[in-house]
Amino acid sequence: MYRVFLSWRYLLTRRTNWIGVGGIFVAVGALILILSIMSGFLESSRAMLRGDLSDLAIAPSQEGRGTDGSSASSTRTPAPLLERLFADERVEAASPRLVWYAQAAGDGRRTERLMAGSAGDLSAIQLIGVELRTPALLAEAAAAPLLAALGLPLVPTAGRSADGRARDEFSTTEFFHSLRREPLRGMRVQNPLLPFERPRSYRTDGRPAAAIVMGESLMSGLSLVPGDEVEVVTILPSPDGSVTSANRRFVVAGSFRTGAHALDLERIYMDRAELEDLLSGHREYSEILVRTKDYDEYGAALKVDLERDFLAAGLIAGGYGRNGEIVAFPGQVKTWEDSRQNLIGAIKNERVLMAIMLSLILVVSGFTIFSILTMMVTEKRRDIGILAAVGATPRGIMSTFLLIGFWNAFLGTLLGAAGGILGATYINDIEIWLSDLLGVTIFNREIYYFDEIPSDVEPMTVLWIAAGAFTSTLLFSAIPAWRAARVDPLVALRNQ
Amino acid sequence: MTDTTTTSVGSGRHGGAEGTPILRARGITKSFPIGDRRLDVLHGVDIDVGRSESVALIGTSGAGKSTLLHVLGLLDSPTTGTVELDGVDAWALSKEKRASLRNLKIGFVFQFYHLLPELDAVENVLLPSMIRYGRGAYRRRKRELDTRARDLLIGFGLEERLDHRPEQLSGGERQRVALARALFHDPPLLIADEPTGNLDQATGSQVLELLFSEQKSRGLSLLMVTHDARLADRCDRTVYMRDGVVLDPSEVKDPLPVVP
Ligand SMILES: Nc1ncnc2c1ncn2[C@@H]1O[C@H](COP(=O)(O)OP(=O)(O)OP(=O)(O)O)[C@@H](O)[C@H]1O
Ligand SMILES: [Mg+2]
Repeated sequence: MYRVFLSWRYLLTRRTNWIGVGGIFVAVGALILILSIMSGFLESSRAMLRGDLSDLAIAPSQEGRGTDGSSASSTRTPAPLLERLFADERVEAASPRLVWYAQAAGDGRRTERLMAGSAGDLSAIQLIGVELRTPALLAEAAAAPLLAALGLPLVPTAGRSADGRARDEFSTTEFFHSLRREPLRGMRVQNPLLPFERPRSYRTDGRPAAAIVMGESLMSGLSLVPGDEVEVVTILPSPDGSVTSANRRFVVAGSFRTGAHALDLERIYMDRAELEDLLSGHREYSEILVRTKDYDEYGAALKVDLERDFLAAGLIAGGYGRNGEIVAFPGQVKTWEDSRQNLIGAIKNERVLMAIMLSLILVVSGFTIFSILTMMVTEKRRDIGILAAVGATPRGIMSTFLLIGFWNAFLGTLLGAAGGILGATYINDIEIWLSDLLGVTIFNREIYYFDEIPSDVEPMTVLWIAAGAFTSTLLFSAIPAWRAARVDPLVALRNQ
Repeated sequence: MTDTTTTSVGSGRHGGAEGTPILRARGITKSFPIGDRRLDVLHGVDIDVGRSESVALIGTSGAGKSTLLHVLGLLDSPTTGTVELDGVDAWALSKEKRASLRNLKIGFVFQFYHLLPELDAVENVLLPSMIRYGRGAYRRRKRELDTRARDLLIGFGLEERLDHRPEQLSGGERQRVALARALFHDPPLLIADEPTGNLDQATGSQVLELLFSEQKSRGLSLLMVTHDARLADRCDRTVYMRDGVVLDPSEVKDPLPVVP
């Protein structure tokens, strides 16, 4: 009985204990707060890392096939792949696109200036031919101004097949959002639903050029405005094995902004048919982008299933594996995470490292308890002697001091967990309040990619931290408690 | 001289074999290692304390009186020899059992009171009971124990001091609280080491009056170290010590070698 009574009494009457409780409180609270914000940041970074990648991308190797002698003709068109894709319930949308590298230059004197300026300006451009189901969209586009006037959301819904599944770029990537996002330097297209319409300002003497949309950085880099023409030059393999070049003029319809500078500097979007034409039918598509109904749930499994089925149907290339079985050449069916493997791995590593480093805080608070209890044992030698004289056992004395550590751990962890969770939940309110109070901006929303401080309280993390703090404090209390049990009551009693 | 006259004054309600003394020590030696040498403090002491008997222990300073009390009070182990408390060979017991024996059978009163500074007077008195009972058992008795502790302290003239902490009490008051703590759950043996050594004459005799009247009324055995001849006279028997041995009364020329 006296153990609980005495430990509680010592806890309440010795102020140093509040330093211990405070230390654990701060450690646990800070750990939860920081890890929650880290998790939030990492989660948001993950979204940013993903950028405009689709859930899955299927890119059959159309060249270099034939290790097993299967015909290459079946993968010349995306149709068989699409057919298999739409046979799968987990597929929400799929859309083929054609990607080719080229160089671009603005027209007239500006081009000369640019080309003369530095060769670095003339970097490789990614031409992306996308499927937009334009005819179907046209009807909707006619209604778009009306919808907009009524304040209804402008969302492309056309291009869906009877089963409600879409087959266009808008449904598989963020392209539509990039078109609608407010540009910083470029100029938006007139109608994001129909990005490849020639701008009204466009006048030409000859045959009208097809319209393209460029990344805003590229557009401003080439000093172009909508209605300007741009020359695109690329090279193609010719059937006899040599290389030929192809060039064509396009009219700039406007710009898009993904927010990622690298992408906005190198991408040109156009209709897939136009790009195919530029390449003289050399290639119909280079990849099929897939959106799943729920990536987190189906993504990985879908990849495995598709790879197996496509390989069995001879739609993707494969070779003999180590044990003689046929395996798909890697990289033909990729999830977006596969494409960002290195960075995602780095983020995970960082989080683990962070947790390990922050756990040192727990060790520090454990040491605080250790020194407080050690001090108390030294200070309370006489009391320990008295307790022994009135019949307390060494074990009882040990548990009394262990209990003091326990109360410290219990209160500190409880308060710390509550404080940490509250802090992480209301971090933005706290930041605003603090910024107002101090008159400084703590979290600059213009520097960061985020509109608010991201924070993600994970119950498991909280549990681990609480358990860690609790056990480490108890472990640290064990040593002074053990020493208390070994105090010789006589030495303690003999002297005043 | 080690022969004991076991004067049974009390009712003998403390159990144990009636005929045996409450305390019987045989051949107690105690030596302390000092560096690589050994300091022999007790050289084979035999002593008995009968039931309800009061014994005064007198001797020169450094004779080993306190050391002997610690061994007899089960606080320090003898180098050789046995201590039987209420018929039980105490130093043969496990630490835990010995602690519980100490709790049940012995009440201590020290020269320096030795109260716990964080506890008030009532709580200090209750401490041995808290140690004795488990959580549930203590809870059940709490009200009764509490009332008894208060009554005892009030009986000692401390009704105004019940919830004062030791630092708020005078020396005499502290010693009365310490006495109450020692007596609270009626141990058969009371061990006191110069209980008035730290008090002035008047306060000291007040405490002594209490001590003796409680000893008589409760029928306790008392073993008390003192330097005060008048005090020794009030005890049933006096034991003289010098240089770690108990003297035969006939050898004692000057009955009080040390007068404070
Ligand atoms: N732990 C110890 N280590 C070494 N020597 C000790 C120890 N305890 C006691 N002594 C020595 O034993 C001797 C007896 O000490 P003790 O305290 O028993 O004397 P005492 O009879 O109580 O004296 P006083 O009347 O002054 O209280 C002393 O010389 C003391 O120095
Ligand atoms: Mg002494």
